[in-house]
Amino acid sequence: MSPAIVTDMSVRGIRPFVVFLGVAAATPALAHTGSIAGGFIGGLAHPVFGLDHVAAMVAVGLWGAFLGPPAIYLLPVVFPPVMAFGGALAILGLPLSGVEFGIAISAVALGTMVALEAKPPLWVAAVLVGAFAIFHGHAHGAELPPAADAVAYSAGFVIATGLLHLAGIAFGLLARWPAGRFAARSAGIAIAVLGSIFLGRLV
Amino acid sequence: MSLGALAIMMLLATASPALAHPPPLGVTGFFGGLLHPLFVPAHVLAITGLGILIGQQMPRWGKALPLGYAAALATGLIAIALAFVPRYAGETVPICALVAGVLTAWGRRWPEPLGCTLAAATGLAVALDSPPDAISITEANLMQFGTFLGATVLLSLAFGCAFRLERPWQRVGLRVIGSWIAASAILVLALQLSR
Repeated sequence: MSPAIVTDMSVRGIRPFVVFLGVAAATPALAHTGSIAGGFIGGLAHPVFGLDHVAAMVAVGLWGAFLGPPAIYLLPVVFPPVMAFGGALAILGLPLSGVEFGIAISAVALGTMVALEAKPPLWVAAVLVGAFAIFHGHAHGAELPPAADAVAYSAGFVIATGLLHLAGIAFGLLARWPAGRFAARSAGIAIAVLGSIFLGRLV
Repeated sequence: MSLGALAIMMLLATASPALAHPPPLGVTGFFGGLLHPLFVPAHVLAITGLGILIGQQMPRWGKALPLGYAAALATGLIAIALAFVPRYAGETVPICALVAGVLTAWGRRWPEPLGCTLAAATGLAVALDSPPDAISITEANLMQFGTFLGATVLLSLAFGCAFRLERPWQRVGLRVIGSWIAASAILVLALQLSR
C-alpha cells in the first residue's frame, strides 16, 4: 500500500467521524437569555419611554401627596404588586380587553383627581389606582422582550415605576406652598389633557 | 377546584430540576460561591426581602430567625453535597420573595412562627437552588462554603440596614421596598410558569 493511498483512506475514514462528532456536540439553538445588566437597564428604561405610562405613574404620586397620609405611601405600595399582577396575566397569555383604552382613561382620571384636589375615601382611591394598575401592568407584560433576563428586567421595571411615583410625590409635596400647589394642580391638568389626547387617538 | 390547588398543580406541572447557574463573572471555587447569591437576582430578591422583613419586625422577632435561616441554608447545601437533586427549588425561591415582600409591604406585626417558617423555607430553597458548577469535589465543597457565607452575609446586611431604619419615613421606605420585591417576584413567577 503506497503512502498516498493510506493518507487518502485515513481522510475518508475521519470524515464520518468528524461529522458524527459535530452532530453529537450540537446543542439546540435557544433564545439567549440576555445579560443581567442589559435586562435591568431594559426594564428600568421601559416605563420611562412611554409617555402615557409616565403621566399616569407621576399622577399616582401627585394624588397620593394631595391625599396626605396614609394615602401618600399606601398608593405607591399598592400599585407595584397590582401592576405586576396585570403583567403576570399578560405573560401567562390571559387577554384583557381595552388595555390601551384603560391606560388613557387612567391618565385622564388621575390627572383630573389631582387638578380638582379630589379627596375620596382611601379605599376608593386604592381601588381606582389598583384597577388602573392592572391595565398598565398588562401592557408592560405584553411588551416584555423574550431575550431579556427575566428577573433583572422585572426588578428594573418595578423600580422605575416606583421612582416615577416618588417623583410625583416629591412634586406633590410642593403643594405646601401656594406656588407649588398651583404647579401641582397645573401638572394634573396637563396629565388629564395628555390622557384625553391619547384617548382621542384611540377613539 | 380552589385557586390554591390550581396554583399548586400549575407549579408541579412546570417544576424543573435545579440546574447550576453559570459561575458569576466566570469565577469558580470559594469566591464563585461567595458571589453566587449576589449574582442570581431571584436569590437577591428572596434573601434581601427576608432580611428587610426581619429588620422591620425586630426587636419583637428573636434572633432565632437568622439562625434558623443559616441552619436551613447549611442543611440544603449539605443535601446538595450528598447528591440530592431538588425539583422545586427554582420555583420556591421567588415564592419566598413574594411572601417576604407582601408581609413587609403590609407592615403589620406578624407572629414569630410565621417568620421562622419563612426564614427556614428561604434558606433551604436558596441552598437547593445553588448546585455548584464545579469539576472536582474539593472545588464544589469550597463553592458550597462560599455560597453559605455569601447568603448569610447578604441576609445580615439587609437585616442590619433595615433594623437601623427607625424614623417613620424610613419605615415607610421599607414597606415600599417590600412592595417592589413582591411585584418583582410576581413577574418572575409568571415568567417561570409561562416557560
